[in-house]
This record gives sequence, structure tokens and C-alpha cells, in this order.
Amino acid sequence: MEVHVMNSVQQSLDNNQSLSCQALASLRSLVINPTTSDSTLSSVLDALTRSLQLSRDSVILYHTLKLLTDLAARRPHLSPFALDLLRSDSLFSSASPRLVGESLSALLSLTSTGNDIDAARFVSLCLGPSVSLRLCLLRNAEKLVVRESVLLAVFLGFTRDPFPYVRKEALDGLVKLCKNGDFDDRDVIEGCYCRAVELLRDTENYVRSAAVHAVCEWGKLLVISSQDGNKQDLSDAVFIQLGGMVRDMSIEVRLEAFGALGKIGLISEDILLQTLCKKVLGTNKDKIYKPIEGLDIPASAVAGAFIHGLEDEFSEVRMSACFSLRTLIVFSLQFACEALKLMMDMLNDDSMIVRLQALDTVHHMATTDHLKVEKIDMHRFLSTLVDNSSVIRSVTRKILRLAKLPQFKLFKLCIDGLLGNLETYPQDEVDVFSALFHIGRNHGKFTVHIIEEASPELEPTCGGKLGFDSTRVAAFLVLAISAPLSHEKDVGDIPPRIFSYAVTWIGRISYALSDIMNQEMLLAYLSKCSRSSAISLVDFKIKETLLTVEGDAPINLCSTVDSPVGMAWKNSGGTSDFHHKIQLGIGKSVVHAEYELGEHSELRKDVNLIFKKVKDFWSLVQLGCTNEALKGIRVCKEEVASFNKESAGCAGAVAFTLQYLRVIEKLAAVWEYRRLTKTFHPYRVENLELRFAKLDRRLREIRNRFIGLTKGEELQILELLLVAWVLRLSKMEICCYDTTIKLLSSTVAHAEFLHEGSTEPSNFMVEVKKSLHDVGSSSSGSTYKPLLFEKLLDSFSLQQFVLCGTPRYIHAELKVPGNDSENPLPFIPGLPASIPLAITLHNVSTESRCWLRISMSEESTQFVFLDSNLICSGNRSSNVVREFTFVAPFYLTPKAISFTSSVSLGIECFSENVDRVKVSGGPKCELPYLCPEKQIFLCKSSERSAFI
Amino acid sequence: MAIDCLVLGAGQEVGKSCVVVSINGKRIMFDCGMHMGYTDSRRYPDFSLISKTGDFDNALTCVIVTHFHLDHIGALPYFTEVCGYKGPIYMTYPTKALAPLMLEDYRKNMDRRGEGEQFTAEHIAECMKKVIPVDLKQTVQVDKDLQIRAYYAGHVIGAAMFYAKVGDAAMVYTGDYNMTPDRHLGAAQIDRLQLDLLITESTYATTIRDSRYGREREFLKAVHNCVAAGGKVLIPTFALGRAQELCILLEDYWERMNLKIPIYFSAGLTIQANMYYKMLINWTSQKIKETYATRNAFDFKNGTNLAEIMINGFHQFTYFLDPAIAKFLLLRIRNFDRSMINAPGPCVLFATPGMIVGGFSLEVFMQWAPSENNLVTLPGYCVAGTIGHKLMSGKPTKIDLDKDTQIDVRCQIHQLSFSPHTDAKGIMDLVKFLSPKHAILVHGEKPKMATLKERIQSELGIQCYCPANNETVTIPSTHYVKADASDTFIRSCLNPNFKFSTCSSVDKSYLDSNGSKAISRLSVSDDRVSEGILVVGKGKKAKVIHQDELLNTFGEKKHEIQFAYCFPMHMNRTENIPSASDLLCSLDRCTLISRLSTILSNELSEGNILDLGEQLQVESFRASVCLSDNCPHRLSGSFQNNSESVFFCCCWAVADEKLAWKIISIMKGSTLQTT
Repeated sequence: MEVHVMNSVQQSLDNNQSLSCQALASLRSLVINPTTSDSTLSSVLDALTRSLQLSRDSVILYHTLKLLTDLAARRPHLSPFALDLLRSDSLFSSASPRLVGESLSALLSLTSTGNDIDAARFVSLCLGPSVSLRLCLLRNAEKLVVRESVLLAVFLGFTRDPFPYVRKEALDGLVKLCKNGDFDDRDVIEGCYCRAVELLRDTENYVRSAAVHAVCEWGKLLVISSQDGNKQDLSDAVFIQLGGMVRDMSIEVRLEAFGALGKIGLISEDILLQTLCKKVLGTNKDKIYKPIEGLDIPASAVAGAFIHGLEDEFSEVRMSACFSLRTLIVFSLQFACEALKLMMDMLNDDSMIVRLQALDTVHHMATTDHLKVEKIDMHRFLSTLVDNSSVIRSVTRKILRLAKLPQFKLFKLCIDGLLGNLETYPQDEVDVFSALFHIGRNHGKFTVHIIEEASPELEPTCGGKLGFDSTRVAAFLVLAISAPLSHEKDVGDIPPRIFSYAVTWIGRISYALSDIMNQEMLLAYLSKCSRSSAISLVDFKIKETLLTVEGDAPINLCSTVDSPVGMAWKNSGGTSDFHHKIQLGIGKSVVHAEYELGEHSELRKDVNLIFKKVKDFWSLVQLGCTNEALKGIRVCKEEVASFNKESAGCAGAVAFTLQYLRVIEKLAAVWEYRRLTKTFHPYRVENLELRFAKLDRRLREIRNRFIGLTKGEELQILELLLVAWVLRLSKMEICCYDTTIKLLSSTVAHAEFLHEGSTEPSNFMVEVKKSLHDVGSSSSGSTYKPLLFEKLLDSFSLQQFVLCGTPRYIHAELKVPGNDSENPLPFIPGLPASIPLAITLHNVSTESRCWLRISMSEESTQFVFLDSNLICSGNRSSNVVREFTFVAPFYLTPKAISFTSSVSLGIECFSENVDRVKVSGGPKCELPYLCPEKQIFLCKSSERSAFI
Repeated sequence: MAIDCLVLGAGQEVGKSCVVVSINGKRIMFDCGMHMGYTDSRRYPDFSLISKTGDFDNALTCVIVTHFHLDHIGALPYFTEVCGYKGPIYMTYPTKALAPLMLEDYRKNMDRRGEGEQFTAEHIAECMKKVIPVDLKQTVQVDKDLQIRAYYAGHVIGAAMFYAKVGDAAMVYTGDYNMTPDRHLGAAQIDRLQLDLLITESTYATTIRDSRYGREREFLKAVHNCVAAGGKVLIPTFALGRAQELCILLEDYWERMNLKIPIYFSAGLTIQANMYYKMLINWTSQKIKETYATRNAFDFKNGTNLAEIMINGFHQFTYFLDPAIAKFLLLRIRNFDRSMINAPGPCVLFATPGMIVGGFSLEVFMQWAPSENNLVTLPGYCVAGTIGHKLMSGKPTKIDLDKDTQIDVRCQIHQLSFSPHTDAKGIMDLVKFLSPKHAILVHGEKPKMATLKERIQSELGIQCYCPANNETVTIPSTHYVKADASDTFIRSCLNPNFKFSTCSSVDKSYLDSNGSKAISRLSVSDDRVSEGILVVGKGKKAKVIHQDELLNTFGEKKHEIQFAYCFPMHMNRTENIPSASDLLCSLDRCTLISRLSTILSNELSEGNILDLGEQLQVESFRASVCLSDNCPHRLSGSFQNNSESVFFCCCWAVADEKLAWKIISIMKGSTLQTT
């Protein structure tokens, strides 16, 4: 067949005839047939090359193009030749723009980077009459390696195009250039900036919105490139220019404009204040900025920009305005004060996410010391403490913890507000207590004062009994005991008996203060305080712990979110799903451009925010609100899944984050059982076992399927492992004591090794090491003390994971070409069957040992080792991606007419060389799988004779 | 072509909006309102100005009504049924639905006051039959030439701005609009259109309003403080207007603050909202739309009985029409009847009519006013003579209702300052966004309009007018010519052809010579279209051709203008050569030229100096030695033909004029050295 086809093809070519459609069709059958030999395919390529030179018929050319694309896609080792052909003149200089477009997109789809179309061709194609082709070229200009100067000329030129979409793409291109490129020619910068400014008045929404983005980016560059004296005026001018766009009728443009306003940076106070006032301020009357000759803009253009933004109809715009305000408040104290008033008003907004964002902005002010409490309308602010939404309440409390109140009156209001909160929403107790404690420490004198006032309430009433049932009393006690730890000096004394009252509440109080001290410490502290009124705390251990907590307090408390997208999860708390989706959608469109740039740092920031949230969720888990935490983690997962994975380097980080979330999710699920045992017992061991198994699997994956983690990151993962082992050990029902202890000690050893010379090990790690030592020395491992481990867990607190490296994700794709339930592979019962597999390995090093696991059922499982030579011989053998085909034998064919088996690919990990897996001939170590199982369909080849 | 704009109402005043615009032969009447302040003939626009004969059907192409307020629609039944206009009338769906209620209410009031009946209930019904409803952004082809389109205007539910286009002339009539959203309605929204004329309202021509959050805060604070202290809050409102917004505001606040204090409506409502629902949802703000999409709580089971709404004598109760309110009612619906007026405990009550002119709101007011715990909110504007007005003007302690009744007023009064009109900044923003060629202000107070007009003209450079009633403003309109295009031109248009230049324009500073700073900025231009030339032949259709084709088309040759000038240049001879004029052989001439070239290259900074033997060339400037005594370019008699000088004949093209004179002045100022 092959020979026949090739001969006829050859013949027609020898007659200087181009190939007919029929001939091409038969060639196609050769190309898509996986068994066709490489030599045949190269001759097919040759034939196509010659045919291309002969034919000008666009139909033929089109078919040839498809054929080349298929060939390149199926036979990666031949793709360079095919690509050369694709790039050749015969296709690209074709008169049909459609054909050119097709070959261009084929090129782009086949190669991920570095399509070197030469600049001249790029330009000539761009200048051609076909608009769609022009669009396609402009959109993908990045992927085609074209010189920056050429791109600049092309983009700038096409901002004049009569077709609006071309203009938009050109502007987008200019933005990308501006971000990546490095321009110091002022003419160019001014030129681009002016052009963008001109397009702010375009008739199309999307062009205007792109123009806003371009003005922002080039404006920033303009400011940077200018001389020093001029900078302030220039950045003001750019800001005003953008501020003029906030009254656009299109929401898209407004969103973009508010986003841009937050990015400009240094703005003078006059202008900032003007944005908060619709009337033109005296200082700005008749003030005209001339950033560039011919671009005069009056300061009045920016009047009330934020007022408009904050009362916009669309919550997205309002949020964006709040968010931008947040970045601007650092520039001026007066501006911050004015903005604060507005933020207080925003607490009345009808959309919860906007209220949250407003609170967030206030919180930001508090952390950056721009919060002037006396300017707050305290009543309004405190009213958020009785808000229906728990998230709002909790953010408010976070702000209160940071607040420094100048007057006793305000302080009292604050405390009353918190007490009211406690009364209306008893479920907030933990957080309210904690907030009270912090506030008390910040205002020692006021605290003492207020306790004096309230002391009648605290005293035992009749018969020496305390009002034990009153949460209000407990709240006062928490406040009281914070006084000796105050940051202020000479706060005065709290009557010692108050502390002994507090001891009666020890359980609830320590629960609330668990982030500051544990129960024992609290007890020690209380008993010490109750004994003497003058306490010297110098030698008291709490102080240190407290100090460290205080040190990272702003970070701790800042569960704030950096981008409007991030807000989405909070949504799930109160508003509906629908809204949630909208939010995500809009958010995406806002930040889309940034993501698309593949700015790794941007992504890292987002990812780290997620980690920050996870830490917060973990505290929920510790408080027993596992379901809420799980819900949050799930939303996070969704969010992470929506991150852009396309650009280089991002996929790994995103995959890692997802995996981390999964681990925490499973850990939380297991952790819950820990609590359950404390309260009531009956639960099913199997269920627990199942959860542990899931956790183990996730942990194994996160440990073995990522490379390129830094030491610190690896340590944190190890710590999670330790927690898992210790958790297991604390459950005597399922623990397999010996194995787990062995695993534990090996992990500890590994951690110790990593620790060498670097950071301090965490508290938990130290404790684990100690108790491991105890267990080892006290006996020969025969006595098992679950309680010891149970206690160990108390010292665990999840550290915030910070991603600084670029993790790479080890994964694989398995394909069985042409096999499905309709087209089963043939086999003969009893004889080995061959299974052709197309394997793509990502980030797998040549040293690693890969195994194929082929199984029909649990009993008939078979492992096949993948030779590393084989892996190296892969076609697209870059270090990152390896692609090859492998024919795997399956020996255990049953006596059946047909059966299915599943294949998966795993990588042997040496780190856990505890013999848990025992399959003869298989891998010696644990085998995390790199891809989902693939079903293979096999069918007894009955027509065997017919084949032969 | 011109657009004539005849203002029949709301010219330099507020009330009876009515503008008749003639545009390319079509006549459109925008709004047909009545003036609430008059009871005589001034109450209606003077329709006789449209047609002396009363043949309105031929005089007008259509009538467009922007929203259901009486000052925009009040005269419509009179115009159609009494004056006899039978042509098409356009309004939005909600306006069509709500207008009859408003008109009916007005008619009844007129009746009650014993004024002569201007139109009957049948008239209203008949009139509404002529109405063609339109949807937002739906382009309606009124006839072959006239297109109209409605854009969202905020203001009240169903309010719209209307775009009208006839041929090439286009205009927008805004009606009343609001550029800032409230809880209930969104902000006005319109596309960036090419307009010849914009007719905009200017109620707040000089006022700039603060953020709405301040107003809301005051209101909520007042209400909350009152109920927290155990007081009762009376909110008298008209059914349509601010009521919706206040409802939503309170509802949100209640939900957020977990307040359990009841909010009552003074009617039992079985709700007919379903019928109107789909129609109205598009007219509310983002928030309300979302609520609809998520809660889907509007599945009313047995809501077809409109009569039930008319409980307690409330003839006009239309909360039910509004989905937002419907949601509200569903969540918190409490029927209120007289027996509950004096029930103990705090509550909030919405009662009609507004301004406490009578009815139930008055009844409740009489009961509640004597207690200082209670609160009454009043709208921003109350008609003189109403109790609302009395309460607003100073705080009276006693109000005489009639001869026998006196009300003791000790309750708190809160005045609302919500307004559905855009402020001055909003008007400016809209005008700036649309950038029409001309603007006309209506629906405002004369002095304030004048101020705004000045601002529009000076800040935006847009010609602006504010005509009085019955005045006509005529503005020119755009007229496009249809032209064919030649193939060459089309081809050249297909391919982008942009050019970059580093000099943006001829700078004034250069000519002034004091600012020597030459601005160089990269700018880009695309000459595709400017390369075309419009050719309009007599009796032929206009045609655009490419500039290269021009000469061909007319069979003409290219002409160029050249300047020539012949002048003597001073020469310094070191040797004794007999005569200047006759001995200049070609060799000498060459020497002279090369000398000249040296001089020029020293003095001249720009231009490329070429020495072509007997000729010198700088760009298009050429100079050669002139031997003819009768050179036509020589200014006769002005120069002494002495031996010390030699004549140069120069010529140059227009483009290089500046350069040429520069060279000539250099040449005149220097001396040629010859051996």
C-alpha cells in the first residue's frame, strides 16, 4: 500500500504535475497511520515540498497545509521540516489571505515559542489587505519573534487603522511592548503616549478601554523617563488624563480607568483631594497641565473622580475604586482622612463585597498608620459589628485590633460595640475575645479604667457565686487580663482577684487566645497575676511569645486580598452563586491582561495571597469550624484553577498551589476527627482510615511531584508530613505503630538535614524531635502513648506558606492512539498483548525511575519499567518535555473475549523507602502516579486468520 | 439643510416639556407635557404654532414621550383626543404601562377640584391605544427616513433619552435624566454618537451635588435613631418616585443590621407584578437585576386581582409594578390598617399620598405628630399649601387643618434631599461625552441656564442655546454626499499606508525665532484617505479618485509654479580682467559656481548643496550665472551693471521658498573672490 501510493505520487511529480486532491488524500492516510515508517514519511514530505513548488491552486495548497499540520503534530521528530515548509514562500506568499492565515495559525499551534518569521515578511503580511490576517498577526506578535523596533512601528501605525479591532490590538500590543521593552527615546514615548491619549476619544468602547490601559502604561514610562524636576507634574497630568475617563458610559472603560488610577503612583495632594470633590477646588481652578505640547489638560477634569466611582451603579466599579483608593492613601494624610469619610459611607453599600473592600481599605489605612480614628464616625463604623455577614464583622474586628483610640469615650464605644456583637452573634465569641484582648493591650489605661467601672458586674453576686453564665462577664475578664501585658507603661492595677475569676473561664479564654498562648501558659500567667498585683513580667515567658506575635501582627491580620478577583471567595459567604460567578468573570476581564503577560511575579503574589488565606482557614479548623474552612479552601481551589496556566513557569506554581490546597483540605478533614474524639466517640474507623489514605496520597504527590522547591518550602511540606504521621500515631485504631514511627523518624531526619545552617526549626518540629527521642529512649518502642502524640499536635500551627521558588510540576500524559471501546486492541488469550502508548513526560529527569502500572483488577496488576534510555530518545527531548512512544507488553491476558485494563504511569520515589508496597517485579518504593488512569480496551482477535 | 427647533414648553422654565424639531423634512414632537402651576390655557403647550389649520397629522411625523411624569405627558390625551392628532406616538414599555395611571389620577384630581374637564377616562384609554411601545436600544424605523432609538435615562422607571436620525442629521433629546445611579435605578447610559444637536434638561444647571451616600446616611440615621428609641416613622410618599428607592434602602439596612422592627405598607397587596415583571427588570439598576436572576422569588401565585390593591381608598398604588418593591414586599410584607395606627412599639410606615396632602398619610400624621418620639420624613420638594410645605418652612408647633381641627406637632421632621435629576457636572459630563455640534438647554431656570450655557461654550467649545417658550432655534445640520470611488482609490485604501514623522507640525516657536526649541515627537499618520480627491462633475455623480489618477482623468498636464529671480552678486577681482560681462567663459562660470558653493556650504546649515558645473542646486533651488542683459527675471533698473558684480539667475519651487530667500540673502551679503 505504502509503496503503491508513493509510486503514484512520484509519478505525477515526475511529470511536473502537482498532486491531485486524491493523491493528497491517500498521502493523508499514510500520515495518520501510526505504523507508517519514518522513511516513508520523509518521502511524503519531499513529495509535498515538490508539489508545493508546482501548484498554485489554493484548494490543493489548503489540503497540503492540513497534511503538513497533521504530519507535524503526529510525528514530532519530523515537525521541524514540516514547519520549514509551512514557513516557505509558497504558503505564506499565497494570494489567499485565508490560506496565509491558516498556515500562520498552524505555525502558532505547532510551536510554542520562537517562530522566527522575518520582520520583512511580518510587516508585509500586516500591510496586506486582509483585516483578519492583520488582527491575527498583531495578536500573536509576541509569539513570532519580531524585533521590537519593527513591532513598535507596526503597532503605532495600526493605531490609525480604520478597523476598531485592529486599533485595539495595536494598543494592546503597545502596552505589552511598553511593559517588556526598554525605551529611552523620549520621542517614541511621547509619540505613543499622545497616540493613546488621542484614542481615549474613540467611538468604540473596547478601543477606549485599551487606550486607557495604554495611557496608563506609557504615561508611567513617560514619568520615569523625564527629568527630575518635571516628574511630579507629569505624573499628575497622566493621572488627570485617566481621571477624565471615569465618567465614560461604558463600564469596561470605567473599570479600566479606576484600575489605572491606582497604578500611577506619586500624585500631588491637590490633585488627590480634587478626586474626592466634585466642585473644583480653589487651588486647582485654572490650573492647566501641559505634559506634552498640545496635550493641555485642566486639573478640573479629575474632579470628583472617586466620588463618581464610589457611587457607580456597578459593584465591580465601586470595588475597583475602593481598591485604587487604597493604593493612593499613602501619599497624603489629608487625602487619607477624606477617603476615610467616604469609606465610612461605603459601609452602607448594598453589595457585601463592596462593603468588604471598603473595610479592607480602612484596614489597609490602619496597617499603614494612616488611620486617624478621631475622624471616624465611630457609630457608623461600629454598626458593622452587628452586620449580618460574619466576614464583615470579622474584618471590622481586625481593624479594631489595630486601632489606637485617643479618647476614653471612643474606647468605651468600641468595647460596647464588641459586647453588642457578642450579644447578637454568640458564635463570634472566640474572635471577639481575641479582639478584646488585643484592644486591651493597646489601651492599658483605658482598660483599667473601664474595669473599675464594670467591677460591680464582675463581682460575685449572692452567695459568692460568679455570674458564670454571662458571656459579658467573660468578655470583661478577657479585657481585664490583657492589662498587665499592655504596651503602655504604668497602666495601673487590675485587682488580683479578677485574675482568679478569669481562671474559672480558662477553657473558653484560652481557646480564644490560642494564637497568643496556650492553656498552660495562660494558667501560669493568671495564677501569677492573681497572687500579686505588682507583676514583673520580665522573666515571664509569655512576653516573648507575645512579642513575636505582635511583630507579625499586621501580616497575620491582613487576610486582605490584593486583587478584586481574590475577593470572590468571600462572596460565597453571603451573596449568591450567581453573583459570585459574575464577580469572577469580571475580575478575570480586569486582570486578564496582566495575567496574559505571564508575569510570574504577579502570579506569585496571587498564589501567596492564597497561602495567606489558607493559614487563616487553618485557624478556623483549629477552632473547630472545619466545614467553613473546607468551604473556603474549596473556593480557593476554584480560584486557583482559574489562574492562567499558559505562560511559562506558571503551570508549576498553579499546580503546586492546588496540590497544597488539597493537602490542607484532607488534613483538615482528618483533623476534625481529632476533635470529634474529644467530644463524642462513635465514628467509623474505616472512614477515618479512608481519610488518612487520601491525605497520604495527596502528601505523597506534593512531595514527589514537584521539583525546584526551595529549602524553606520543602521544609514546610515536611512539616505537613510530620503532622500527618503524628495524627496517625494519635489514633491507635489505625496507626501501624512501627511503620509510622519509622516514617516519622526518617522525615524528621530529612528535615534536620534541610535545616542545617538555615532557619530555626518550628516549635512543632522541635517538639516532635524531642518526643521522638523520648519514645526511642524510654522503651524499645513497645509502649504506645497516643496521648503523647495527641498533645504534640497542640503545638502545631500552620505556618504561612510563602512561595518564592518556581516549582515545576512533574506530570505525564498517556495516550493509547486510536483505542476506544469501539476500536479495541486485539489480543490472544494467554499470550502477552502489546499496548502502544504515546507518552509525554513533563519535568521528569532522566535519573528518575518510571513505571507503568497496568492492571485489570487488584490481583492482576503488572508493572513495566520504562528504560531511561528510552525516555532520552524521545523526540521533543527538551529537558522539560519528553515525548515518545512505547509499546508495553501486558502478560496477564485473561481467557475472555474482551476486557479492559487501566494504565497509569508512576515515578518511583526513594525518599520513602519503607517497604509498604510489595509486588514482585515491581517498584521497590512508593509510586506516586503522574497521570490519571487510562482505560484500555482489548478484544480477542477472532479474525486472526483473516489478518494473516 | 438645517434643524429647526421650536420650543413649545419648558423653555427657560420647568413644566410642560414640549419641543418640536424639524429635521430634514421630518417633524418630531418630543414630550407633550402640561404645566402644573397653571389652570388656564397656559397649562398646555401652544399647539397652534405647529399647524395653523390644526392638521397635526400632516404637520408631525411622530410624537415621542420620554417618561410618565405629567410635565412630560400630561397634555398628550388632550393633544390626541381633543386636538385630533392621530399619528404615531412612541414611548417605552414601562412608560406606556404607568402613564395611564398617572393621567387617570390627574384627571380625577382635576375633576375633584371642579375644574373643567379637559379630557375623560375614555380619552386616556383611546390615547394609549395609539402608543407604540419601544424597548431600550431598539432602533425603530418610523418611516423611510426617520429612525429613533431609546437609551436608558435613569430618573424614573421607564425614562429614556431618544435618539433621532433623519438622513445624515442626528440628534438626541434627553428628557429628564440622572447621571448618578441610586439604589433603584441605574445611571443614564448612551453610546458615543455623532450628533448635530443635543437637547438636554438643565434642572440643576449650576448645582453640584455631593455623594448620595451622605444623604442615605442621614436618612438611615434618622430612621434608626427613631425606631431604636421606640418611635414610629411615617414616610409619606407618592407611589412612584422616591418610594422605591427608600424602600430598598431601608430593606437593605434592615437585613444588614438584623433589625426586626416591622415596616408596613398602607395597603394589602396581592401582586400583579408578574405581568409587568419581565418588562421592567431591564429598567432597574445592576443590583436589582441580579437579585432577580438569583432569587427568582417572584413567582406570584394568585396575583391577577388589581382591585384588591385599592384598599383603604388608595387610588394610586403602584409599588406592585416594580420588581424591586415586589421583592421587598415579599420579604417583609405587612398589611397595615387603621387599627394598627395606635398599636404600641416602633414601626416604619410607608403611606400615600406624599407631601401629606390628605388621605391615609394625613390620617396617620394626625395620630403620630403629637409625640416627640415619632419621625416624619418629607421629600425634598413640597408644593406650597400642603402640610408638607408647612412642616418644612420652619418648625411649627401647631398646624391648623381646617377651622375645627388643629394638629399638635411635636414629632421630629427629616427632610430628604434625594433628587432624580442630574446635577451640573452630570450635564457637562454628558455633553462632553456626546460632543454634539450644538446643544440646546431646556427644563431649567433662566439665569442658571445662562451660566451653564456659558460653561458649555467656553469649556467644551460647543455652540449652545437656551430658547424661551415659542422660540425657534435653527442650526445647520450635517449633509453627506454619496460618492463613487475609483478602483485605484479603493485599492490604496485597503492597504495601510502609515507614515511616521518626527515633527508634529510647523511650530510657531520656530517662526517666532525666539523659541529655538524645535519639538520633535514621533507621530504617525495614515494617508490612505487623504490621498483621495473628490471630483464633482456637473450632472455627474460625485466620485473619489486617487490623487495619481487626477491628471489622467482630466487629460491635463501637471503644472508647477516656479519662482525666478536674477540679481547681481558682488565680486572682488584681484586681477585685471577687461570686462565682467563678456569674458565669462564657461570655465570661469564653473569657478564662480564652485566658489559660490563653498560660500554657501559655510553659511547654510540645511539643504544638500550640489555643484553641477555651471549650475548650483540646493533642493529645488538652482542658480546659474546670467549673461543676458535682458533677463526677464531681472528687476530692471534696480541694479547697476558694474564690473564689480556678476548676475546670477535663480529659480526655485514653491516648497523651498524660505530656503531660497535664505540663500539669496547669503549670496547678496557675501563677496565672490575671483582670481
